[in-house]
Amino acid sequence: MQSKSKGPSLAWRFQRLLQIDAMNLVILIIGVYIVWSIISALIDNPARYLPSPIAVALSSVDMLYKGLLPSYFGDTLMRLISGSIIGLAVGIPFGLVLGINRTVADMFHPIMNFFQSVSGIAIFPIVVIWWGNSDKTIFAVILYTAFFPIAFNVLSGVREIPIRYISAARTLGASRFQVIKDVLLPGAMPHIATGSRLSIGFAWRAVIAGEMLAGQQGLGWMIFTGQDADRTAEVVLGMMLIGVTWIILDHYLLRPFEADTIERWGLVQR
Amino acid sequence: MTTAVTALSTSIQRRIGRQKLRKFILGAIPFVFLLVIWQMNTAFEWLPPVFIPPMGDVFGAIITLQEDCIGLIGAITMHNSCSMTNNIFSSMGRVILAAVIGLPLGIAFGIIAGMNRTASKFLEPIGVFANSISGIAWIPLAIVWFGVGWLTTLFIMLNTIFWLMFFNSMLGVRGIAKVYEQSVLTMGGSRMDVIRHVYLPGAMPSIITGMRMSMGFGWRALIAAEMVGGDSGLGFMIFTASEEFKIEEVFLGVIIISIIFMATDRYFLAPLEKWTIERWGLVWKPT
Repeated sequence: MQSKSKGPSLAWRFQRLLQIDAMNLVILIIGVYIVWSIISALIDNPARYLPSPIAVALSSVDMLYKGLLPSYFGDTLMRLISGSIIGLAVGIPFGLVLGINRTVADMFHPIMNFFQSVSGIAIFPIVVIWWGNSDKTIFAVILYTAFFPIAFNVLSGVREIPIRYISAARTLGASRFQVIKDVLLPGAMPHIATGSRLSIGFAWRAVIAGEMLAGQQGLGWMIFTGQDADRTAEVVLGMMLIGVTWIILDHYLLRPFEADTIERWGLVQR
Repeated sequence: MTTAVTALSTSIQRRIGRQKLRKFILGAIPFVFLLVIWQMNTAFEWLPPVFIPPMGDVFGAIITLQEDCIGLIGAITMHNSCSMTNNIFSSMGRVILAAVIGLPLGIAFGIIAGMNRTASKFLEPIGVFANSISGIAWIPLAIVWFGVGWLTTLFIMLNTIFWLMFFNSMLGVRGIAKVYEQSVLTMGGSRMDVIRHVYLPGAMPSIITGMRMSMGFGWRALIAAEMVGGDSGLGFMIFTASEEFKIEEVFLGVIIISIIFMATDRYFLAPLEKWTIERWGLVWKPT
């Protein structure tokens, strides 16, 4: 197997990112800015209902100056990264193990389906009774939400591998471990990539919701307390940060990763 | 006796199908195992009942919550004392209302954006941005705008499903080969004909998939919104119950939430999606 990647290089991708409809984006941002300013100028009490873009920018400067923004941002990101890494590290082997045996897979499919439809946020009230308003609670919610999509995807990825590949490897004298390493893992790779993206996406929502509900410092907490303390500018700022962070994460990290993986491993011929 | 059992088992096998039966029985094993563990926990008290309530208490919570509820009529008329059914109905009502308003709006805007390149150039980035501010992040602002209550939760759900729907129908319309549109126009069809006979059927699989996805995300967002900024509904019910440390009510609520979601997804949205893809999905694509 050659490890040379055929996908576009990182530098090329970065260049394209700069070119893509940059003009359009600028026009759009200016347009949104104007509409937003006009609306916030027209309504009563804009500081409460819709602060002007300038007010939001000023509040960001203020929070940067106090050092709150980087610390909140870092907290949230740390939770997301550690939570999703642990979730993936647990979920991938779990799905793999379940997927190896068809009977076991059939056995666990329905119960995983059931627990997946209990959304992570709904689990929050239970966890909060167990551990109170702590970091532990948020982590439990993040892990719960991140675990199921990836485990589920790996499970179905492994099950979709045609049985004859496994048989062929076995016939040629491969051990159980070699089958996992050379057949199951590469075969499930596209599903692993898709599942990871899904998992991290769900985990991101869970981080925000968990911080709001459990009252631990972070972006979710920032927008929630901002609303409590009548600092709507901070709320809007937090929302924009949440949106921008996710766009960067999703479009420039996770999606290319998924596309590359599918390109590299996905062309399994039937 | 044994012959009767074998006859029964073969007749069951014949009616349901061997494979299906096998899957059903296999799938039931972990559930039974879990219930047994749960029951054993109650019996041996590994974890105190404050953390894991006895199974009986969870079902007992139905009775506690529905106390003084005058039968079915009371539940339907949403009498004050039927708090469980009231919360279920108010969540479901919001889901239905949001679906009725949000889905057609999202589809309409999506088709417009898919039809028109210039419109989509401006609407697409907005859509990307709005989709990535997940529904939950809107909750504080929604509380500022609408206060705690019905409108906030409805807004969160609408917001979530509208943008997902918008995006999916836009992508669906974009995926249709230009040839179809051009042939309808050549044969003298109007703009309306193109929408009715080309865009809508062509984008149908994508629209229905988007519908299923948006209902899933919307339901999750709704539960979160009810917890933070609602005054009724299942999310509100479990959140207030957990604040009062009534863990049996929380368990009950969580089970109801997942059953409602699974039932709508399994028996309504998934078959609908499958049917649509079978009916409309195999659109020939010129190469």
